[in-house]
Amino acid sequence: MADSPLHDPLRFHRKTPPCAVVIFGANGDLTKRKLMPALYRLAYEGRLAPGFAVIGISRTAMSDDDFRSRMKESVSKFLEDSPFDEDLWRSFAQSLFYLAGDVGDPASYQRIAATLQKTEKDRETAGNVLFYLSTQPSQYAEIAEGLGRAGLAKGQGWRRIIIEKPFGHDLASARELDVRIHAHFEEEQVYRIDHYLGKETVQNIMAFRFGNGIFEPLWNRRYIDHVQITAAESIGVEGRGAYYQEAGALRDMIQNHLLQVMATIAMEPSATFSSDAVRDERSKLLRSVHIMTQQEVEENAVAGQFGPGRVGGQQVAGFRMENGVNPESVTPTYAAATFLVDNWRWADVPFYIRTGKYMPKRVSEIAIHFRSAPLSVFHNTDSPGASAPNLLILRIQPEEGISLKFVSKRPGAGMMLRPVSMDFNYGASFGERSPSAYETLLLDAIVGDATLYTRQDMVEASWRAVQPILDVWATKNFTFPNYAAGTWGPAEADAMLARRGHTWRRP
Amino acid sequence: MATAEALRPDEILKQLAAHWLDLGEPDGDGDALLRACSMTLTCFADDEEDASTLNAMLASLMREHPSRLIVVRLKDGEDELSARVSAQCWKPFGHQQQICCEYVEVTASINRLADAASIVAPLAAPDLPRVTLLRSSRIVRAGALRKVLPLGDKIIVDSRRTGAPGFGELGGLLDAGHITGDLAWTRLTPIRALLAQLLEKRQARMITIEYGGREAGPEARYLQAWLQTALPDANVTLRGNAGAERGCLFGVRVDDDLYMRLCRGGAEYEIGSMKQRASMPPGTEEQLLNEELGFVVHDRAFERALNHITA
Repeated sequence: MADSPLHDPLRFHRKTPPCAVVIFGANGDLTKRKLMPALYRLAYEGRLAPGFAVIGISRTAMSDDDFRSRMKESVSKFLEDSPFDEDLWRSFAQSLFYLAGDVGDPASYQRIAATLQKTEKDRETAGNVLFYLSTQPSQYAEIAEGLGRAGLAKGQGWRRIIIEKPFGHDLASARELDVRIHAHFEEEQVYRIDHYLGKETVQNIMAFRFGNGIFEPLWNRRYIDHVQITAAESIGVEGRGAYYQEAGALRDMIQNHLLQVMATIAMEPSATFSSDAVRDERSKLLRSVHIMTQQEVEENAVAGQFGPGRVGGQQVAGFRMENGVNPESVTPTYAAATFLVDNWRWADVPFYIRTGKYMPKRVSEIAIHFRSAPLSVFHNTDSPGASAPNLLILRIQPEEGISLKFVSKRPGAGMMLRPVSMDFNYGASFGERSPSAYETLLLDAIVGDATLYTRQDMVEASWRAVQPILDVWATKNFTFPNYAAGTWGPAEADAMLARRGHTWRRP
Repeated sequence: MATAEALRPDEILKQLAAHWLDLGEPDGDGDALLRACSMTLTCFADDEEDASTLNAMLASLMREHPSRLIVVRLKDGEDELSARVSAQCWKPFGHQQQICCEYVEVTASINRLADAASIVAPLAAPDLPRVTLLRSSRIVRAGALRKVLPLGDKIIVDSRRTGAPGFGELGGLLDAGHITGDLAWTRLTPIRALLAQLLEKRQARMITIEYGGREAGPEARYLQAWLQTALPDANVTLRGNAGAERGCLFGVRVDDDLYMRLCRGGAEYEIGSMKQRASMPPGTEEQLLNEELGFVVHDRAFERALNHITA
């Protein structure tokens, strides 16, 4: 609509083209909890084009009306911070269609093709199709091939395919998946979703770094001592024991979400805010991550698994006692690693990353530890806080915001110093509702903006960074469990930082 | 938490600072209270307007636009000029987030408007945009609009309000280079956005805007002007319906095959064989102002429409 004389860029949202969204795994949890509420919310805000349709695919037999009724139940249950409008739902529900089909059956794709033709005519979707793979990861390649063979990867309008993580379970399988997808889809058609990148605060990291001039001169090895990235969950595997047992903390969180966060923190400024310019810089950073040797893995990576403990005043069982989990499982539910970046800006600055289940609280944040003042002028004063280094905290959840810790004089006679915190809370300062990560990412895919999606070179680079750890851990005899639920992880993780004279920050 | 009779601007600012200190008094953990400020919002209102309703509406704006809020209440009669200062933090019913607001109220008789303006001007938060919301019909009646113009980088009116400046006066503001907003125009945003989508690939020839009553309200006139300036080859007309609610927009007909019916809370139209509905909750004044406060730059589409009306 940029060329339309009716377009008003000052007030109108980005133009959204008409399209059909085809969701594989339409009866699954992700569709019910995240995708459908996000699409409904986009409709509520008038962000979807009038020509719009959703076609749900899964194995369960049901009619369009059954599907609409299930989706209504899910949307009204899982819609966050938004009213449920019955009138709007009636109109939105007309755009929902359902097909029962097995993704391994070529006839399913013929039926999808016929339905797409019909919706293109009835719903004026202009031949644009967004395929969303919300299925078991093992089906991704099969679906992409099925779509390709049925001629659905190309059409009159654009064709895009969204793939949920994990993109492979190691470097080799990620490459294999890529080859099978690329046999039918071009790279610019492939949208690999990492919902962490859709979070408002992760995007705010870019605004904070590149929209302000005062931080950039400090953003390097000369002024930054180390960086800690924490993604702690206060819950266990919540019935996903069988899946989690195959993945583990390193694959589930660090290989994708947290390395992407680290790349956002450490990347060079891009020349423009265009999709490929930003992703080039992220990719470059990930490719600069030092690849550990076996010996380095021993010193710089720690695995943990929770045993029984108390969380939130309740006794919880250990991981090995979870449903669907092997009683002798050696899957890490906690992982911590020290990554180094081999470039001029970050040489020798450790990036400590940790994630775990059943930690004392749910918190995701990045702590930038600055170097101490070169000369402690106040070391003779009776001030225990006089030498505290400055700390910049970028909080992703639950209270999105930014804190800066610095030293201040206590009022009164004498020179007593103490650390104080200057806190900026997005929620308290801007009451505007933040869109969910899935709203942001779905809309981006519909308009063709891949900035917040990962590219294959980024996927491979992050697998390369964690592959040595996976290889060493695959041969290791862990003595699990090695931390109690409700604690901050195994003692070895503290020792890992202590070797460089650091300690984990308590979030 | 209010103090009366502080008329020197530096004294008012000192009192504001003292209120923040009180609010930020350590309550055990020693954390200081910090707040964000994105602009100065000065509202001119008539004294008859219910203060608590107005203040609640303005305070609710602080969620999206944390501001230094100055309300100037104007009255007839005696020579009066007074001010009070307050700052408060609260959680609106049903919301998790705490809102903090600093608030200066100046009460002045209309003949002291220039004095009131001289107090308000130095109170603006430094280096941040200043927006003036004009709700006072007294200022318009007194022909004193120019006295308040220097207080804001943008002035917002609502042509729908009784006693608001007319199109001619608004056109005069544009001619003088002032950034101007009209909530009657802001009300049209969801309708314009939907029309822009529906008309994108059409060569519309005849567009009829239907409104209630005999005389078109400001929204209908803005909509006509916008469509006519954007689509010069189309014939855009207004048609009143004496039986419908006066001044209300209720439909847009495009040629013979598209009709968009505006109904309570939404718009209905047909696309292909399907009837569609778009949600358009009636914009409250708070929502309209939230949109309008989002930018302090010239709104070219609005200015073209207004110029078309006043030409």
